[in-house]
Amino acid sequence: MKRLWSLFLTGSLTIAVALSGCSSNGSKANETTSGTKDAGNAGKDEITLYTIQSTNPKFQDWLKEAEEKSGVKINWVAAPTDSDTRQQKVSTILSSGDNTVDILEINDEMATSFKNAGWLEPLQDTVLTGDVLKQLPQGYMKDMLTSSKGDLVGVPSYTGYLGLWVDQKKLDAAGMTSINNEEDFVKFLKATTKDGQYGYGGSWEKTYVFNEIATFVNLFGGDYFDWSNEGSRKAVKFMYDMANTWKVTPVDQIADKYEQMNQKFIDGKYASVFMWGTGTDYKQANRYGEDQIHMINMPEFAKRSIFTDSWSYVLNSASKNKDAAIKFLKYAASEDGELNSWKNFDRYPARADVAAKEEVTGDIKTIYNEIQSTNEVHGRPMLPQTMEFISEMGTLFQNYIQDKITLDDFCKKAQEAVERYK
Amino acid sequence: MYASKKYWMIAWILVLPALLIRIFTTIYPIIETFHISLFEVKLLQGIRKFVGLDNYIQLFHDSKMITSIRFTAIFVVGSMIGHIVLGIILALILNMKFRGQKVLRTIVLLPWAMPMVVIAMASKWAFNNEYGLINDFIRRFAPSFNLDWLIYTNTARSAVIAVDLWKDLPFFAILVLAGLQFISSDMYEAAKIDGAGSIRSFFSITLPLISRNILMLSIFFTMWRITSFDVVYAMTSGGPGESTALIAYRVTTEAFTNLNTGYAASIAVVLFLVMAVLSGLSMSAAKRVDY
Repeated sequence: MKRLWSLFLTGSLTIAVALSGCSSNGSKANETTSGTKDAGNAGKDEITLYTIQSTNPKFQDWLKEAEEKSGVKINWVAAPTDSDTRQQKVSTILSSGDNTVDILEINDEMATSFKNAGWLEPLQDTVLTGDVLKQLPQGYMKDMLTSSKGDLVGVPSYTGYLGLWVDQKKLDAAGMTSINNEEDFVKFLKATTKDGQYGYGGSWEKTYVFNEIATFVNLFGGDYFDWSNEGSRKAVKFMYDMANTWKVTPVDQIADKYEQMNQKFIDGKYASVFMWGTGTDYKQANRYGEDQIHMINMPEFAKRSIFTDSWSYVLNSASKNKDAAIKFLKYAASEDGELNSWKNFDRYPARADVAAKEEVTGDIKTIYNEIQSTNEVHGRPMLPQTMEFISEMGTLFQNYIQDKITLDDFCKKAQEAVERYK
Repeated sequence: MYASKKYWMIAWILVLPALLIRIFTTIYPIIETFHISLFEVKLLQGIRKFVGLDNYIQLFHDSKMITSIRFTAIFVVGSMIGHIVLGIILALILNMKFRGQKVLRTIVLLPWAMPMVVIAMASKWAFNNEYGLINDFIRRFAPSFNLDWLIYTNTARSAVIAVDLWKDLPFFAILVLAGLQFISSDMYEAAKIDGAGSIRSFFSITLPLISRNILMLSIFFTMWRITSFDVVYAMTSGGPGESTALIAYRVTTEAFTNLNTGYAASIAVVLFLVMAVLSGLSMSAAKRVDY
């Protein structure tokens, strides 16, 4: 019997060792995928940031300054660069109540999905107080970062526009000096389409094309949630004509995401694209500049309209380091925080007072100011089941572009999708 | 009697840790998946309500799901035919005696050693009409060749199957080669004396003697194909439209992107049952093939 007991105890011990082994492996994995972790700082003004910027060459400079000025030690975990994987990981972290990450950077799609799920901490009483909030884009804050209960759940880390980028050399070759309206736009696309090069390039992969459909819907004065609206129909018909009637853009871009589109644009295959950001890819390829690739104001179709976006810092409700996280978020929303992002990541400040400062200079500032003063600025039209809706609309659009369904079918099914996911 | 009972107890105590871990990591998730599949779980809306078999009924009326089932069948059958036919041919080539044979065997295995996600991401570029090495190669013989592989249903599906084959075919061939090396050369010599040519020898000696080996390999390779999702995830994202969305990819999308956990669980259960039935049939077939 003694033997049996000793065997039982041995067995129990083995299980305990095995399970403790699992647990210690888990925590080690967390540390190795994160940045440095100083055991001496544990639990004291220390946070873990889930960031999309870790591959940026200036990330360490940004981190150093952020730690110094916020007084918070920042451990970081790299978010996947692939958008699908990133969305899935963030969804899993937040929905499972994982508290290993305190602050996450999320985009508009994720913000729309998560803001009403109760996974994000309200920030209006601690971070986004009146003086800070009044400097941020009000429409964007309301549409994208305010929950149905009225809570503000994110601090936008920059302001970006889905702007029209043109290759100046091609504009010159077309004998044009500007693209002011629909007629100019079509003329430019047709003039620059030759020898296997196209006037317009897009990223029409099913989860990306939504940006361009919505942009054209806006330009034509339509409503993305109303597919009986003549402007909405005109917009997708216009995109169809670009690809199939005028052939000023290739149908094969339905497999392209931004990386493929940008490579083709940089290589001179396209004369214009709609793209986010401040042109970092073009700068890295030495293709950025007034005489090369640069952003111009949106042309006026039925109206002059543009989308704005941001990646926002949000606070995980399950976080155990909320005080430190709030300290970091206050820094991120401050003048110092915004200027740090501008300086190291080329991210245009979301706060109007910071954007107006002398430190923020360059042609991007000029064009952003022009856009702000001449365009209707909107957040993108999104529904709570964001990615499902975006993917379904993208699939329908691809079917329409490939003549698998008619325009009427597209509009009918798009409206059904709107009703289903609303 | 007492001693025998004692030894049984010792045996159980010794396997208990492994058993508990297996229960925790395999049996419990399977039971929980069955359980969740009976609920409508939408994490984003905070919905969790019992719906019985509704998820299963929805599954067979969902056009996206039907497309996924069709493509999964095409993918598994197409890929397995390729694996078996090309795998045997490759194994026969690798079984020949020639200079550099060992080097060739090593080179052949390289694709298998690479992670599928890396291969699939590279393949997205490889099948690109402008930048891709596939079209670049074809254009050396047909300069006017233009094909956007990943935008048409049939070519995108073919590309996905081709990439899957390219990666795993070498492994299949090497395993077949292992079987070939157990066949004694005496048998071929005897057949030759009896007047059998190489084709007759292949069908009368080689194929029968490796058939059990191939059948066993096919069982595992088929199961891996049925649960495959990474190739599609990184290469086509299920596109164009939904035409290359494999069932396992659909499970991942519903569970982790759309956060429709209940529906995803019901698809996973169906996939599990299909695999269980196929495994049973395959194992019973394997028992009957005996040389």
